[in-house]
Amino acid sequence: MEIFLQQLINSLSVASVTILIGMGITLIFGLAGIVNFAQGEFLMVGGMITWALVMAGVNFFVAMVVAMLAVGLLGLTAERTLFRFTLTRPMNGFIMSIGLSVILQNVVIRTLNEVQKSITPPVTAVWTVGGVDIIAMRAIVVAITAVVVAVTYFGISRSRYGVALRASVADQDTAALMGIPVKRYVTGVFVYGSVLAGLGGALMIALFPITPFTGSVIIIRGFAVSLIGGLGNVGGAVVGGLILGLVDALAAQYGFPQWTDAYSLIVMIVILILRPQGLLGGTMGPRAT
Amino acid sequence: MNLLTVENLRTGYGPVTVNRDVSITVDAAEIVTVLGPNGAGKSTLLRAISGLLKPRAGRISFDGEDVTNLPADRAVSRGIVMVPEGRRIFVDMTVQENLRLGAYGRRDRDKVEADLRRMEAYFEILAQKRQQKGGELSGGQQQMLAIARGLMARPRILLLDEPSLGLSPKLVKDLRGVILDVKATFNAAVLLVEQNAGLAMSVAARGYLLHHGRFVASGPIENLRDDQMMRDLYLGAAQKVA
Repeated sequence: MEIFLQQLINSLSVASVTILIGMGITLIFGLAGIVNFAQGEFLMVGGMITWALVMAGVNFFVAMVVAMLAVGLLGLTAERTLFRFTLTRPMNGFIMSIGLSVILQNVVIRTLNEVQKSITPPVTAVWTVGGVDIIAMRAIVVAITAVVVAVTYFGISRSRYGVALRASVADQDTAALMGIPVKRYVTGVFVYGSVLAGLGGALMIALFPITPFTGSVIIIRGFAVSLIGGLGNVGGAVVGGLILGLVDALAAQYGFPQWTDAYSLIVMIVILILRPQGLLGGTMGPRAT
Repeated sequence: MNLLTVENLRTGYGPVTVNRDVSITVDAAEIVTVLGPNGAGKSTLLRAISGLLKPRAGRISFDGEDVTNLPADRAVSRGIVMVPEGRRIFVDMTVQENLRLGAYGRRDRDKVEADLRRMEAYFEILAQKRQQKGGELSGGQQQMLAIARGLMARPRILLLDEPSLGLSPKLVKDLRGVILDVKATFNAAVLLVEQNAGLAMSVAARGYLLHHGRFVASGPIENLRDDQMMRDLYLGAAQKVA
């Protein structure tokens, strides 16, 4: 049981990264109707920036913040120069995001190389709580993600901007008639989703080595958790991430750990067959008129 | 000076032209109606004035300023507020959240709470249903909420698109009182698009008759009532307001 608990915390830390990506995917889809496949590369770029800064002697947490801001800027640029023009045709935006992810991957390979990058964990302590050894860095990753999830959730459900965001998701025209600058909110979710991906990348490289190809693996899992929870539903992405984390932990403990990725996709397929709208129910994307 | 002036407006979607050479004026605190059969281009005209649809040609000015290409969210802060056809209440949000959204673009945040109480005092049903989801309201209650939500923006002109649609005769009568009060109590002009000519003519001072996207008659309501075009096109099928 102790080992399972350790395994669970390990899996939760991995799930944290997936949740950060999944929240970004689901937020952007909810408002703009675009599944942004470049989100995985945004995470990878965030990890690479963190790596480069830490290698240059910058404190990890400072590097993390820089990575978030830099990837946020990347998201802003992508929205302004690309996705803004496909808002009425989300499928084009989706295809464009696949192209963007290939470009970003190759830019990173060109500027750096294909070799995997790692940093020494910024926090190396191991805490023993009730006979369970917890790797402190993993707990920190889970805690940071929990804070981000809470801030996002309350921001959306309580704040003035959250209400306006939900109104824009429900009905863009009517939201505009309320005086809500819907396009600015579209930019906002792209930037916020990108910042989350940058954070995910920084947290990921604190746990594992990453390569320029990490993004394409993580995006599948991020997409899976947002689909499991219900695409467009932020709470759903969190629930989906936790379910995948639990499945990972169980698989690592009682099944074949090397099958972990297969298990998560099997869970996704089963849930989507039984409940096509996702566990918590998603949106069908923004209304056209 | 007119509050709203529309000159030679042309609108359309894709290859279709909807409105041609439409010109209209509305004075401050005046109730004006645009009548016409289904598909005459009434809603499209309102969408263009509200900023949801970019006009193809022509000019819209409001309070002396050109607002022809002003997007809807910025037109609202000038005081041009539309209550869309079908009410378009945010069904998953509470009545109060819907009302607050109406005031989203306002800078005088401190006065919003007072206006909220004012709406709840005027539309009592909204005070009773304050915490209920918009989707749980009846059609008539939703229409009142949609108008109250529009008033929360402190409009100088309220564009009402088919507010009587789907309402019982009793509710249409209530609606008539509310429209008159938008002018009398809330000091806003009203541009009313209606298929219910009886309702429209009982509240408006002036009217325009739209047919195939163009105005075919206009003037004081008394004159319109006797217009032969009006009779032929429209009045025969219209219901009377009690």
